[in-house]
Amino acid sequence: MFKVRIRFSKDGALRFIGHLDFLRVFQQALRRSELPVAYSQGFNPHIQLSFALPLPLGMASANDYADLTLKESVNMENAKKLLQNQAPLGLTIKKMWETEGRNAASITAAADYELKCDESEMPSIREAAKNLLAANVYMIPKKTKGGIKDTDIRPDIMSIETSGNTAVMRLAAGSGRFLNPLTAAAILLGRETAACEIIRLELYEKIGEAFVPI
Amino acid sequence: MHLSDKLLLRVEKPGRYVGGEINAVIKDRENKTRFGFCFPDVYEVGMSHLGLQMLYFFINRRDDVWCERAFMPWPDMAAVLRETNTPLYALESGDGLKELDILGFTLQYEMCYTNVLAMLELSGMALRSAQRDENDPIVCAGGPCATNPEPMAEFIDFFYIGDGEATLDAVLDAYRDHKSRGGTKTDFLKVIAGIDGIYVPAFYDAAYNHDGTIADFGSNSPEIKNRVKRAFLPQLEYFPDRFLVPLVEAVHNRVTMELARGCVRGCRFCQAGFIYRPIRERGVDHLVTQAKTLLEATGHEEVSLLALSACDHSGFGELVDKLLAVTEPMKVSLSLPSTRLDAAFLSAVEKTQRVRKSSITVAPEAGSQRMRDTINKNLTEGDILAGVTQAFDAGFNKIKLYFMAGLPGETEEDVTAIGALAETIVDVYYKMPYEKRKKPVSVSVSTACFVPKAFTPFQWVAQAAPDSFESQQREVKASIRKKQITYRYHDAKTAYIEGVLARGDRRVGAAIEAAYLAGATFDGWSEHFNYDIWLAAFEAAGVNPDFHTRRGRGEHEILPWDFIDMGVSKRFLRNEYEKAMRGESTPDCRTRCAGCGIEGGACHV
Ligand code: SF4
Repeated sequence: MFKVRIRFSKDGALRFIGHLDFLRVFQQALRRSELPVAYSQGFNPHIQLSFALPLPLGMASANDYADLTLKESVNMENAKKLLQNQAPLGLTIKKMWETEGRNAASITAAADYELKCDESEMPSIREAAKNLLAANVYMIPKKTKGGIKDTDIRPDIMSIETSGNTAVMRLAAGSGRFLNPLTAAAILLGRETAACEIIRLELYEKIGEAFVPI
Repeated sequence: MHLSDKLLLRVEKPGRYVGGEINAVIKDRENKTRFGFCFPDVYEVGMSHLGLQMLYFFINRRDDVWCERAFMPWPDMAAVLRETNTPLYALESGDGLKELDILGFTLQYEMCYTNVLAMLELSGMALRSAQRDENDPIVCAGGPCATNPEPMAEFIDFFYIGDGEATLDAVLDAYRDHKSRGGTKTDFLKVIAGIDGIYVPAFYDAAYNHDGTIADFGSNSPEIKNRVKRAFLPQLEYFPDRFLVPLVEAVHNRVTMELARGCVRGCRFCQAGFIYRPIRERGVDHLVTQAKTLLEATGHEEVSLLALSACDHSGFGELVDKLLAVTEPMKVSLSLPSTRLDAAFLSAVEKTQRVRKSSITVAPEAGSQRMRDTINKNLTEGDILAGVTQAFDAGFNKIKLYFMAGLPGETEEDVTAIGALAETIVDVYYKMPYEKRKKPVSVSVSTACFVPKAFTPFQWVAQAAPDSFESQQREVKASIRKKQITYRYHDAKTAYIEGVLARGDRRVGAAIEAAYLAGATFDGWSEHFNYDIWLAAFEAAGVNPDFHTRRGRGEHEILPWDFIDMGVSKRFLRNEYEKAMRGESTPDCRTRCAGCGIEGGACHV
């Protein structure tokens, strides 16, 4: 068995399908590609494929990751081509490589989100970002199992950088801590925003104090 | 244009409205006849329909036509379209349906009729043909419900009756010529009115007797034929080598193979069994090759076999073996339609479900032998019990039983026989040796409400009233005592409306329009069906629903669909009706030709 990581981007119509639908669509592409994919055991064998982090409905991603198990080792350049040929519109396979490490889902610690804003909004966004980063604690009401509770989200914000008319936020993401990018975006913008106005740029693993793309 | 991203995020399952499916056909708009295949139900249902897949690729195989798709938007999306003044658009191009040349609706179920009207209105078009102008697309409709087109006659410019592949090319050729020549819609409709299967309602008039029955029906111009002959394909050849693969989960995500069209059995309640005569089978090798090609083109994990009675395919055993040889290495599962519980079927099921035993479905359709003879089911209680015994023996412990209630001539005894049969089946299980029945048995009984359809021997009979269906349902419930049996039934009120739409005449159209204008859509969905809207609509349109459902028709009455030649003769249907009333059965076509009137007599099936 060979573990393979796939880096891809997702855009267009694919933004409007849910996580499970995207998983099925991806698996179908793998089946059409004739790559030597490994199946799980049991009554309903399925392709062993998992994603690093689900993407909110409507959001595009520039660098997204999936883990796949192959039965045999194949040329990765060639595998990438085979899969790309079968990919639905909006799915671009950027790179495939063999990996021995832990699953992408378990190492993901942070994500970069890019916010496309109106030129006129930029001054207030820069102001909001400055205040947010200067604060030690930032409490917001958050839905939890026990009802709505005030929660400190400051530790979940790693950085906010603005340039031109975009803002890039690095937020906690993954199976541990997670901050909804729409929540953070609303604080910056001072208004509600929609997932289709945000692009998830990259996912990171935390190695020591550094964030490294996974 | 497709709806904007922000608006899409306001609706449930936006993936229904964005296109982008695998194998979707994108062409350039220049010099094309633009055809919109309209499915008047929600996306997930339409995308699971084999007819859509077949016609989509059949039409798109022509370079001069671009066939796109549209589905009935779910109420939340319909509201957004209205609110934002966005016309309903074709999924491929995002262009409003009104910009296309021909819109083709498929009528699979009567309870979708209001959705047809909704799709017209959401496209910015008038509901009635007479109110649409030269700039509007030509609106046509086909599918099984088009065998009685009259209730929808006011809304549809032309109907296509019969096998899609038979004369659709002739219609599309005629449209291309018409477009290059110029001329009015009526000019075009006159040309195609001469093609087999084409019915243009505007060219026909009906006159009525005082009692409301039809006095006369025929063409209103000498150049138009009086009778419309169905389009008929003697041999099935075309099958697509690709299927559209939806991005959002459809009802069925699988490759469906059409084994045969038509059926040799002749169950008297079954419209499909009469309108698709004679049976036309596809060859085993062709099916196996096509299935492999389709699996490779889709990435699906399941193949299903479609036919009215799949086991009756003359090469069924061989087909299952050859298909399994293809599907097993591909990790694809093969699912068999439930038909007859005979040895051939059980051995096939055995092979396809090597490990896990799931439930098995039997459709006795009626509880008593007398009723099964009336409907010509050609199935004895002995056959049913033998089949069930074999299934139990093979390790199945869940049986689903399908019945119909409200069959012609049905008595209380026939109804309680449904429960009795289910109880006998439970007893059969417990008669097996102990070590064979480790798991508890479960028998689920479901009853549908019988709705008589056109071109069946029961086209003359009165449909049971909603309250009598409901009392039958109570009787069935009372006749079931064993706790291993569960009981479900269909809604009697829906069946009543379906009955009016199935056998109504042209005057019923006004009631469909009134119901739609009062808010009816998705009538086939219990959560959306509103009986009171329909009753009020009948009232407003001056249509007596009982006249179309609850009334037995006389032998010589002109039925609204009599002008259509569906192959089977009215004399044969009448003869079958009389045999039904006498409780006599008719053997299947392979045992002996019943002389159904198909041109040329016995068709040597
Ligand atoms: S002609 Fe005879 S064999 Fe052919 S469909 Fe009719 S009854 Fe059956």
